[in-house]
Amino acid sequence: MAVSFQQIEEKLKTEARRLLESGQVSLVLAWGEGYDENHPMPYVAKCPSDADGIVFNEYCTHNPARYLVRYPRGTKIAIAVKAADSRAVVQLIQEDKVKRHDLVILGIPVYGIKNPKTGELIDDRTTCGLYNPVLYDVLIAEEVHGQPVSSPYAVLAEYEAMDQEARFAFWKKELDRCIRCYACRKACPMCYCDPCFIDQNKPKWGEKSPDPAGNLMYHLTRFHHLAGRCIDCGECSRACPVDIPLYLFHKKVAKDCEEMFGQAAGMSIEDKPVLVNFRMEDSDKILE
Amino acid sequence: MLKKTTLNQLSDLAFALMEKGTLVAPVRQNAGFQFREITDAKQVDLNFHNTVISPKSVFFPQTEDFVRYKTGRPVQEAEAVEPQGKPLILFGVRPCDVKSFEIMDIHFSGTGAVDPYWQARREAATIIGYAFDVGAPAESEEFYQTLGIGAADPEGSDIFMVRHGDDLLLKSITGRGEALLAGIGGLTGASADDEKYFDDTVAAGRDFKTRFTCVDAKAITKKLEDLFHHTDFWEKASNACLSCGVCTFVCPTCYCFDICDETLFKQGTRRRVWDACMFTDFTLEASGHNPRTKVYQRLRQKINHKYSYHVRKYGVISCVGCGRCTRYCPVNIDIFSIVEEAMKA
Ligand code: SF4
Ligand code: SF4
Ligand code: SF4
Ligand code: SF4
Repeated sequence: MAVSFQQIEEKLKTEARRLLESGQVSLVLAWGEGYDENHPMPYVAKCPSDADGIVFNEYCTHNPARYLVRYPRGTKIAIAVKAADSRAVVQLIQEDKVKRHDLVILGIPVYGIKNPKTGELIDDRTTCGLYNPVLYDVLIAEEVHGQPVSSPYAVLAEYEAMDQEARFAFWKKELDRCIRCYACRKACPMCYCDPCFIDQNKPKWGEKSPDPAGNLMYHLTRFHHLAGRCIDCGECSRACPVDIPLYLFHKKVAKDCEEMFGQAAGMSIEDKPVLVNFRMEDSDKILE
Repeated sequence: MLKKTTLNQLSDLAFALMEKGTLVAPVRQNAGFQFREITDAKQVDLNFHNTVISPKSVFFPQTEDFVRYKTGRPVQEAEAVEPQGKPLILFGVRPCDVKSFEIMDIHFSGTGAVDPYWQARREAATIIGYAFDVGAPAESEEFYQTLGIGAADPEGSDIFMVRHGDDLLLKSITGRGEALLAGIGGLTGASADDEKYFDDTVAAGRDFKTRFTCVDAKAITKKLEDLFHHTDFWEKASNACLSCGVCTFVCPTCYCFDICDETLFKQGTRRRVWDACMFTDFTLEASGHNPRTKVYQRLRQKINHKYSYHVRKYGVISCVGCGRCTRYCPVNIDIFSIVEEAMKA
């Protein structure tokens, strides 16, 4: 069955209005109108009439979970999520950044989301490739079944074929053009540290000027801070003004984590983040 | 003087320019076009709409070294980095970006406090502007015309280029441009038709429509001042904002920087590095106090600086409508839509 963006938009508006009218939530995180149809933007509805401003179309790439930590703890929030976005919500619950009972999750089963910059389909190459939210209170459309499913790690084949030296050269080349605008961390739902290590000046972990060594320092640290936590929404790479394929590293680490600990990030609120959990049966491969 | 070459011979032109000075021109990179110092004439590519980062980076690079020193050594041994004034040719700059240099000059030399690094490069530079294609519609992010800048305005360039099919017309605008143009071999003279095409393009550029209608800078300034304390308005405008550095780093008229001491082993460098008012730590004071902790305060600062404070202080909006901030904003925030909303509020 084809996805009807129109129907999803209508249902989102209805649910948002209902939740705001009843006072069950004080805000709804979704998408709204941008400067043209191809560029909708993250949107917050705070009163029932704001619900009319909600938009849903194939360019709603942004991950609304990014905004959850911006509101004071205990704020009752309804959040519209696509599959990957829902994993971010789950991961944030695992990390106790938000409470499950403070959220109403509006799950959107969907495929066919496109990157407005390139027009390319956003699929398992740059995100987790799931179609259905992993956690929700209200399902906004019928679940998607029968769409081709491939591993989110398939895209790594070429990268994994490189030896260590070639990988280093690859990242050096890609990261050389980083301008340290920090859009990657700011777009990331899991990058909520305040201050971020790279902004600290006592001790100072990295320099401010973008140079190859400093860029490597920033990114390698960030990559590892996201180990077992990145839910593969791809927002970091889409946010990057110079198109650095950050998702490749995140996917590689996610794949390693999954192989070692048998758990992918943000799939269940019963899980604990792999790097803060210890189980006797855990793999020792990480120490090798 | 109007001369002509073909796009096929672009690398010959680039080669000739490289003999006259350091050539900086648009180059296709894996992430769109950027201005780069040309080492191989074939790199120059004019099949671009505009570069990701503005050409301000040529005069005001993201990192600029001021002093080099060894830690633990007497200060007298520190070495100042002299400003570079080598002849520089900046090729293929769009009219809105050419205009940005004039605005930036206010800050780097116009107020009396002269920045020697900016000035040395600026004085050594010959600017070769390049008209937008007035036959195709403007991109939806752009609004230079709204700010009174034509799509083919030659003002501010030393030489101005207009593309005519597969031909490239080059006209000298200043004496400096004329001297350079006269010294380049391999160009052909232009016909009366070419003259007409050039002039028609410049005229068409004045009428070329980008988004929004023309604006009254004074009215905007006033309105933004009145709105300063309307927190609801600013919160709404910044709900989606990530507080990253994209919009300021790509912008041709953002000039904020930080001065830092960076050391690697014992080699220290005091350097200037671009900063962004959208960063949380931009206003962090040594005491630990931060007057702008909220995203809305920072976005308000960014917009008010460009459209209000700057007008009040220097009489001109500090934005040329190039559209980069909107095009590269990860969440599609559009600066001028916010100004428009403000006018309606
Ligand atoms: S690291 Fe990138 S892909 Fe992973 S959660 Fe953050 S934004 Fe999404
Ligand atoms: S978004 Fe891109 S350019 Fe900006 S800091 Fe991240 S990797 Fe670097
Ligand atoms: S307006 Fe966009 S580019 Fe600028 S700081 Fe906000 S999110 Fe980043
Ligand atoms: S504010 Fe935006 S449109 Fe204006 S000059 Fe800067 S990047 Fe261009």
